[in-house]
Amino acid sequence: MLLSLKILSELADLNGLDPNEIALKLTMATAEIDGIKYVNPHLNTVISAKIENVMPHPDADKLTLVDLDTGKEKVRVVCGAPNNKKGDIVALATVGTKFGEEFVIKESKIRGEKSSGMLCSEKELGFSDDHSGIMILPPDTGLGVKLSELFPSYYAIQFDIDNKSITHRPDLWGHVGFAREIAALFGRKFNYKINYDIQKTFRNTDDLKINIQNPESCARYCGLVVKNIKIKESPEWLKEKIISIGIRPISNIVDITNYIMAELGEPMHAFDRKKLAGNEITVRMAKKGEKLKTLDEQMRDLTEDDILITDKNGPVALAGIMGGDNSDIEDTTTEIILEAANFNPVRIRKTAQRLNLRTDAAARFEKALDPEMCPAAIIRCYELIKELIPEAEAATEIIDNYPEKAEKITVNTSSAFLKKKIGDNIDDNRIFEILESLDFKFKRGEELNIVVPSYRATRDISIPEDIVEEVGRIFGYDNITPKPPYVPCVPPEKNEKRLFERRIKNILAKDHHLTEIANYSFVNEDILKRAGTTDDKELRLLNPLSREQDRLRRSLMPGIFTNIELNQRFHESFKIFELGRVYLKDDRKSKELAKEITFAAGAVFAKNTKDPLFYTAKNIAADLISQLNVKNIRYIPAQKDLPPYAHPGRSMFISIDGNTSGLIFEPHPKIKSNFGIKGEAAIFEINIDTLLKCSKQELSFIELQKFPEVPFDVSVLADKHVYTAEIQSVIEKSSREFIKSVELTSVYEGQPVPEGMKSVSFTIVFSAKNATLSPEQIDDLQKKVVSSLDKKGYKLR
Amino acid sequence: MKEKLETILNKTINEIKNSESIEELESIRINVLGRKGELTLILRSLGQMPAEERSALGKRSNEIKTEIESAIEEKKDKLSSSKIDHILKSDWIDVTLNRADFAKSFKPGHIHPIYTMQYEIEDIFSSMGFQILDGPEVETEYYNFEALNIPGHHPARDMQDTFWTEDYNLLRTHTSAIQVRGMEKNKPPFRVIGPGRVFRNEAVDAGHSNTFYQIEGMMVDRDISVAHLIFFMKSLLKEIFKREVKIRLRPGYFPFVEPGFELDINCLICEGRGCSVCKQSGWVELLPCGLVHPNVLRYGNIDPEEWNGFAFGLGLDRLVMMKYTINDIRHFHDGDIRFLDQF
Ligand SMILES: [Zn+2]
Repeated sequence: MLLSLKILSELADLNGLDPNEIALKLTMATAEIDGIKYVNPHLNTVISAKIENVMPHPDADKLTLVDLDTGKEKVRVVCGAPNNKKGDIVALATVGTKFGEEFVIKESKIRGEKSSGMLCSEKELGFSDDHSGIMILPPDTGLGVKLSELFPSYYAIQFDIDNKSITHRPDLWGHVGFAREIAALFGRKFNYKINYDIQKTFRNTDDLKINIQNPESCARYCGLVVKNIKIKESPEWLKEKIISIGIRPISNIVDITNYIMAELGEPMHAFDRKKLAGNEITVRMAKKGEKLKTLDEQMRDLTEDDILITDKNGPVALAGIMGGDNSDIEDTTTEIILEAANFNPVRIRKTAQRLNLRTDAAARFEKALDPEMCPAAIIRCYELIKELIPEAEAATEIIDNYPEKAEKITVNTSSAFLKKKIGDNIDDNRIFEILESLDFKFKRGEELNIVVPSYRATRDISIPEDIVEEVGRIFGYDNITPKPPYVPCVPPEKNEKRLFERRIKNILAKDHHLTEIANYSFVNEDILKRAGTTDDKELRLLNPLSREQDRLRRSLMPGIFTNIELNQRFHESFKIFELGRVYLKDDRKSKELAKEITFAAGAVFAKNTKDPLFYTAKNIAADLISQLNVKNIRYIPAQKDLPPYAHPGRSMFISIDGNTSGLIFEPHPKIKSNFGIKGEAAIFEINIDTLLKCSKQELSFIELQKFPEVPFDVSVLADKHVYTAEIQSVIEKSSREFIKSVELTSVYEGQPVPEGMKSVSFTIVFSAKNATLSPEQIDDLQKKVVSSLDKKGYKLR
Repeated sequence: MKEKLETILNKTINEIKNSESIEELESIRINVLGRKGELTLILRSLGQMPAEERSALGKRSNEIKTEIESAIEEKKDKLSSSKIDHILKSDWIDVTLNRADFAKSFKPGHIHPIYTMQYEIEDIFSSMGFQILDGPEVETEYYNFEALNIPGHHPARDMQDTFWTEDYNLLRTHTSAIQVRGMEKNKPPFRVIGPGRVFRNEAVDAGHSNTFYQIEGMMVDRDISVAHLIFFMKSLLKEIFKREVKIRLRPGYFPFVEPGFELDINCLICEGRGCSVCKQSGWVELLPCGLVHPNVLRYGNIDPEEWNGFAFGLGLDRLVMMKYTINDIRHFHDGDIRFLDQF
């Protein structure tokens, strides 16, 4: 919202206040000022001056030396204009004047002659395109007067208010509210008075009635019929005023109602009296299927939640949002009905939202306006109409239908409570002064029964905490001394999951050199398709920003594939991981919240590699799991029941406590091609929630081996598709008690091993806990190994 | 006899000088000083000498023995150190390489800068007695709005453009959603923070993201005041920035606090003189905060007559961007390790 300093100055005494100071104080105590905008700011340092003498420049034909009188001092400038004449009053840009960001008037020497300013053309001043010579001011112009005062309409200062910061202040949606606030902040006089006496001149010659069917939707409706209206252009002063706050002039009546909204904050509407059928305006809820063509010539479908202004024939305005096309002011209008009403904020907001019609009026009504503004706005409006159209005349008294009287709000609190909350020893007198400056009514004392002014009583102030804010903000939060509280000193309960996540990240990043990525929680149809996921179980957004991000991920994988796709362009090899949530719902539409499971996923990529990268990924995952002391962990070769993105020949389930809780895999060749992955990649994903909750290996000491260990080497011939782990497990099971370890020493394919076979060698270590194994025992153990292998069909080499 | 001694000395010193290995030295030593060495034999024969010669010859012999011994030791040191020199020379490697096969040079891993910041702040708060809470990212309207004193169709809902899900829940727009969950879980007095990912339905550009990170904080106790809030915020910021920072508090409207503030810090880029980062104001808006609204306490089943507190929300993205002068918020979720490897 734009505020004009000029309008503010008419409403409160701001004489001599620096706009920057006003903006700073408002920011610190009231609302956020996004910026101060200056229109022709240089006019503030350009002054009128009289030419006393013109002399040729000794060193330049086209230049002259001009002596000027500013009323206070004599100034000499070097000037190149052809029309400087002794006795003329001209516009002198004094030293320091800034034209734009670049051009600053300085004391200077031009061809050896001192110059202390510049005489301006109309173009330089920003008045017109005339650059033929310097501007000559009227001969009766006083000397030393700022051009911002001589030509006020060309000079403006605006405050740009951040609307969000006044969401809770219905009183600040017009200049009056801000003028009142600034007056309180600077201890200045607030001059705005409504001339209620003017009503004495109103005579009822029209018998218009106002009927409110549903007071909940419209607490108050004031109407006034005005006749002898002549629609024409607004005078310059009004046009300038509304242009200065960003409103386009249309015609006198429309401009006045728009101006009143900007001044007082009460949205108004004017109907053409003669276009209205009958003598009654009815405020009611729309009926199902009812339609209205609004001023913007859009046909609007209405619902039973919309408030309508109607005449005998039907809707004439969408209450509080926009007038109807059938009742608006035209050039031929001679009689009008002025409307100033108070509508239910929630209903206005709902309708404006549904129709996507967030007009300035709707933005104000939805904040819960002060119903006292209704008659005030009508009176101010009438005053301005009289000023512009003297023959205009009220044809009714103010028709004031006010079924839902606003209650007076009293807040009961105490100065002790206020001091306790603010925490500083602000003294009682200062508290009283502040409250009084803000128009609160109360009796000074320890207990405070504070009557809230009507313009702050709609939603804004109702509880003692609201009074804390009022006192605090005017007192200045910067004046409060920080203070540590007295609190129990106990260690906080730990967030085990967070610590666990941090440990995992440290292992992956610091031990295994993976770089953490944070992908969006969103995915889309295309990327899911590319990742092979087509079950369409992802929870959708109702209002996505784009189709790129229209649903929530159920897996980290699509993101990881995209990361590989991107980073392979810049790196020969890399390692990445993500730790993040996925969002699971069995039934997308059911009301309960999605289950959020945290997963860790890691990926390694290399353009070229000797050994399959699978083993690198497996190594990282296994080390992570082992560092986390997971007890019941199994890695199970997986060929079936795999997600579509996994390579069935290069995948392994991670099973924790008997449940599949992760997967190590290389991507399926189809997926690699879908993502354009040109190189080798291997990935692991682990459910972190399972990992956190699973049973952990308790550390405890095991007595060191006291009796000799006996090694035994075997080489087994097996089909090349047999899992080594299976052979190993056959060996381990041959004699659980005495086999201390079975270590794989080599896997060999090629001559002399027959085609399609491999030779797998192990070193087995036998030992007993409390005795030395006898030669017979050793022989027996060796035989058991061999016979177990033999039973499974594995030949020794 | 005397001449013989001097000859042995000269010869031996000469041999020592010319010797080229420790083995050679050893054989010289054995030849002269060994059990059957030249000097040993002479010393042994001294007993048969007349007494007057014996003492002079004996003295000289011992001197020569000492001289030879020390010459050998000296030469030994020389020889052995030149042997180590040799080893050292031949052991030379190009230490500027990272690996002999220089196929894959060593690249350390990195934790995402936002999380690094989050964990740092978690540690600061933990040390001040705050418990760390989590909450769901897909939230109910109740926890994200209603319980925070933002009823349906309250204009304040416009302040946060919300993503709605098809099951009529929403993506939390702020970590404040964790507040009421925290109150339901804890009996006062308590101090909690809730860090996490939040979402806004906003077009993405260099300064705006639809996904960002906040840390919510809340303290509930008896007689908590604005002065306490300022104290905590100052301590926190001093820890984060490792120096005193100037702050200012101005009114800010958030329905779940009353009074509510915007906390600005003195711009760290220009030290408050004004620059493009702070839009020439010298101040940067950092965190909204305030005293918890009594209605919010009631939603959390806490009696506002007995308890009150403060709450704040800290935006992590802005903080990280300021710390490293990152100019585009989109980097955080681009997944480009050329960016991520810098932190
Ligand atoms: Zn700055």
